[in-house]
Amino acid sequence: MVKFSENDLAKVQEIVAHYPDGKQKSALLPVLHLAQDTFGGWLSSETMDYVASLLQIEPIEVYEVATFYSMYHLKPVGKYVFEVCQTGPCMLRGCDDIIQYITQTLGIRAGETTADGLFTLKTVECLGACGYAPMMQLGKYYREHLTKEKVDAIIAECRKTAAELN
Amino acid sequence: MGMKLLLEKAHVEGIRHFEAYRREGGYRSVEKALKEMSPEAIVEEVKKSGLRGRGGAGFPAGMKWSFIAKPEGVPRHLVCNADESEPGTFKDRYLMEFLPHLLLEGLIVSSYALGSHATYIYIRGEYAWIATILETAIAEAKANGMLGNNILGSGFDCEIYVHRGAGAYICGEETALIESLEGKRGNPRIKPPFPAIQGVWMRPTVVNNVETLAAVVPIINMGGEEYAKIGVGKSTGTKLISACGNINKPGVYEIDMTISVEEFIYSDEYCGGIANGKRLKACIPGGSSVPILPANLLLKTAKGETRYMNYESLSDGGFASGSMMGSGGFIVLDEDQCIVKNTYTLARFYRHESCGQCSPCREGTGWMEKILWRLENGEGKETDIDLLWDIQRRIEGNTICPLGDAAAWPVAAAIRHFRDEFEWHVREPQEAKRRNYGLAHYADPIHVPVAG
Amino acid sequence: MSEQPLLTVTIDNITIQVPAGTSILQAARKVGGDVAPPAMCYYSKLEGSGGKCRTCLVEVSKGSEKDPRPMPKLVASCRTNVMDGMEVKNITSPRVTDARAGVVEFLLINHPLDCPICDQAGECHLQDLSYEHGKEGTRYEFQRRTFKQHDLGPYIQLHMTRCILCYRCVYTADQLTNKREHGILDRGDHSEIATLIEKSLENNFIGNVIDVCPVGALTDKTFRFKNRVWFLKPENAHRECPDCCGKVTLWNRGDEVFRVTARKDEWGEVESLADGSTAWICNTCRFEKKKSSDWVIEGPRKISRHSVISQGHYEGKVGTTVPTEIFSAVHGGRNPKLLMDIHSVSEVNRPEIQLSQIAGPSTGNDFTTGKD
Repeated sequence: MVKFSENDLAKVQEIVAHYPDGKQKSALLPVLHLAQDTFGGWLSSETMDYVASLLQIEPIEVYEVATFYSMYHLKPVGKYVFEVCQTGPCMLRGCDDIIQYITQTLGIRAGETTADGLFTLKTVECLGACGYAPMMQLGKYYREHLTKEKVDAIIAECRKTAAELN
Repeated sequence: MGMKLLLEKAHVEGIRHFEAYRREGGYRSVEKALKEMSPEAIVEEVKKSGLRGRGGAGFPAGMKWSFIAKPEGVPRHLVCNADESEPGTFKDRYLMEFLPHLLLEGLIVSSYALGSHATYIYIRGEYAWIATILETAIAEAKANGMLGNNILGSGFDCEIYVHRGAGAYICGEETALIESLEGKRGNPRIKPPFPAIQGVWMRPTVVNNVETLAAVVPIINMGGEEYAKIGVGKSTGTKLISACGNINKPGVYEIDMTISVEEFIYSDEYCGGIANGKRLKACIPGGSSVPILPANLLLKTAKGETRYMNYESLSDGGFASGSMMGSGGFIVLDEDQCIVKNTYTLARFYRHESCGQCSPCREGTGWMEKILWRLENGEGKETDIDLLWDIQRRIEGNTICPLGDAAAWPVAAAIRHFRDEFEWHVREPQEAKRRNYGLAHYADPIHVPVAG
Repeated sequence: MSEQPLLTVTIDNITIQVPAGTSILQAARKVGGDVAPPAMCYYSKLEGSGGKCRTCLVEVSKGSEKDPRPMPKLVASCRTNVMDGMEVKNITSPRVTDARAGVVEFLLINHPLDCPICDQAGECHLQDLSYEHGKEGTRYEFQRRTFKQHDLGPYIQLHMTRCILCYRCVYTADQLTNKREHGILDRGDHSEIATLIEKSLENNFIGNVIDVCPVGALTDKTFRFKNRVWFLKPENAHRECPDCCGKVTLWNRGDEVFRVTARKDEWGEVESLADGSTAWICNTCRFEKKKSSDWVIEGPRKISRHSVISQGHYEGKVGTTVPTEIFSAVHGGRNPKLLMDIHSVSEVNRPEIQLSQIAGPSTGNDFTTGKD
């Protein structure tokens, strides 16, 4: 069953308090971020219905928003999501080679997840790091000036962290 | 060295935190504004400064502020647009990451000028760690009496909240941003009513870019008239340029808008020349939406004059031979780059980011992407080029928000200036798969007709 | 109520006076005819609708008496209000007709054009729009988009591929029902209308989304594939309904009621009642009352004589006489060979010869090969 901890509920209350009374719908985007981070890295319809009930809005209002924004995952994703930018400025600096390299190394195409559930590769549009291209987003942070060696290092680092957590 | 008004202290140790920022002279403008100036006087100073919106449209900021409606009993809001998503642009990120307190300082002064007691920073969702940096800075400012109730004993109350988006370029458009701030899909609203009358929660709202609001700090410190003396013509003050692409030193540079494009690209102080000893082929000088220019038209205008890094000079010649300052996202392409491919990735970007409300943009962006893919992959037809032109022409100007224009302009400019490269892709599809068209004649001196 | 000042506006050289707050489109509808711009998303009875489809774009060649500057861009007439002294060009502006042809093309590139099997055919606004403002042929050579199918319950059939994303149904569901459960999902060219989980839309007034849908995206499932609208005879009828106004149009063939819809005005919108409210009808009237005996028949409904629906009914009106002898009449009693099987009259186009297999310019020899 999907339910926030007391601690997270307090966070939701704090977010809602940022907006005027009766405008709690404004908290939808930040609360969805919190829900995605908390409930397995993606938004199931159960999670979305729960968020709707928390904010006292109709479920469809949550679906409309969750499907509009590209950061919300509506299907399960791997533990580590490589979101590699492929727009113009990154393309000029060779992002195609990086995407190709990740595809080869992990054996997955863009949009797919490795069989062990560790990695998902996504190609995304401009993340605002054009001067540090090629780059990708991994969790909360950006990994920039990517090279094949760096990609190897990142994959190794993720595997190591995952092993330690288990 | 060019003059720096915003980034001068960016690399001072600990400047990200209140103590160091304050020690370096930060928050002086808040003291000056709240203790010595009326809100009207601040708006007047910003008007005098000639500050133009730094988000892309270049609309005079003071004038935008003066439009805000002030109905009795209705709260007003200032919203900071930190949804930086224009390909090629990453200046706001740099400013927020290194100098969060500079933005807060500008926000407090501007909130006071506009009468906003709850001010929001709408930051793009992907900048997750920067949201944390800003929230830390807000907590520090509040602990030091710069935010909250009765700031510096002036009687002015103000809170600043960070609101994270979730991945949508369209939310950089101010009415889409407002919708998103209300927890809805980022569909731009139809104007009128303008946000200054009915914005977020139908209250009067001003939406300004990060850099615009940060620039309010030096304006208050030095006075609007002094600020207006920097720069040239209607391009006053300094501008952050985020340079990227095939250059030696990509990064964010503060310029005073009097330097030439050539100096900006080749001097060691800025981009440091084209990477790997290559030659310059083309450049998109103001973020992906503005027209791309071949090397020859970039460095010199069609009249044969030197082109400078400012609003007027970059747009000299209109769309026929000029471009725009836009958001200051300076994308440089070297001789090895393929214009068709570059245009294709931009078309893909706009298709991905179209909100889907207006039919020309929703359907047209996807159509352009498909045709450009075909051209790039050697399956194009001669008629495709004219078809692309016709599609972009029918999107431009026919949509609710400027995303339609933004999607149309890069395609139009690429065809306008690089038509022979497109034709080469059609005529030599096998060759085009093996190699790029190269520099061709795009850096040749332009023939300037003699007057009279 | 105090007398409202009237504003003067000139549309396509026709000057009229309208109250302040009137949109250009509403003013143009007062003039009527071709001067009224087409509207695919705007619906005067739905608050907030309009502005999206861009078919109603017009040129404002003079802003107002006070500020005579022309507006630089074409504006959506449905969402732009009239100013005093404004001059508007609709069909008299080449810019407008060009932009509109563009919008029609955009709306059609992903439309399936399955009119032959679409229940909306004959009363489809996109058909009318394409016929009046579009170009024949398409320049689109790619696959049209498709969607996963959604079941919206026993009453409403959704064909997402036909949808033009006008948002009318969203406004209807929002404004006519007490619970919001219908919306737009996803973004850009893959946006779709649907509830995320395949939940039927259960509400007594939800059937009205069928009437507001300008295309065949939302159709009456109880009428699906039953008949073509032009074979049916529309009649006004009413009943005492506890939920709605009970004023409907019955679509009959013989004595059989094939479907029930709300009554629509000349702009294709549900009519207003005498008290100014809109004559929306409830699901019971629409889906459950399919017997003539359920209704008090008022008489045949007036249909525009140019509408395809008026073809085949009402003796003596347009479309009742079949032009059987026209061909031979205009050809002086001769029946043109064009109507015959080409192979029976031509020695050249023989079916066993593949024209595409002939290399280079063909000669008479190419056609004689294989002939004795």
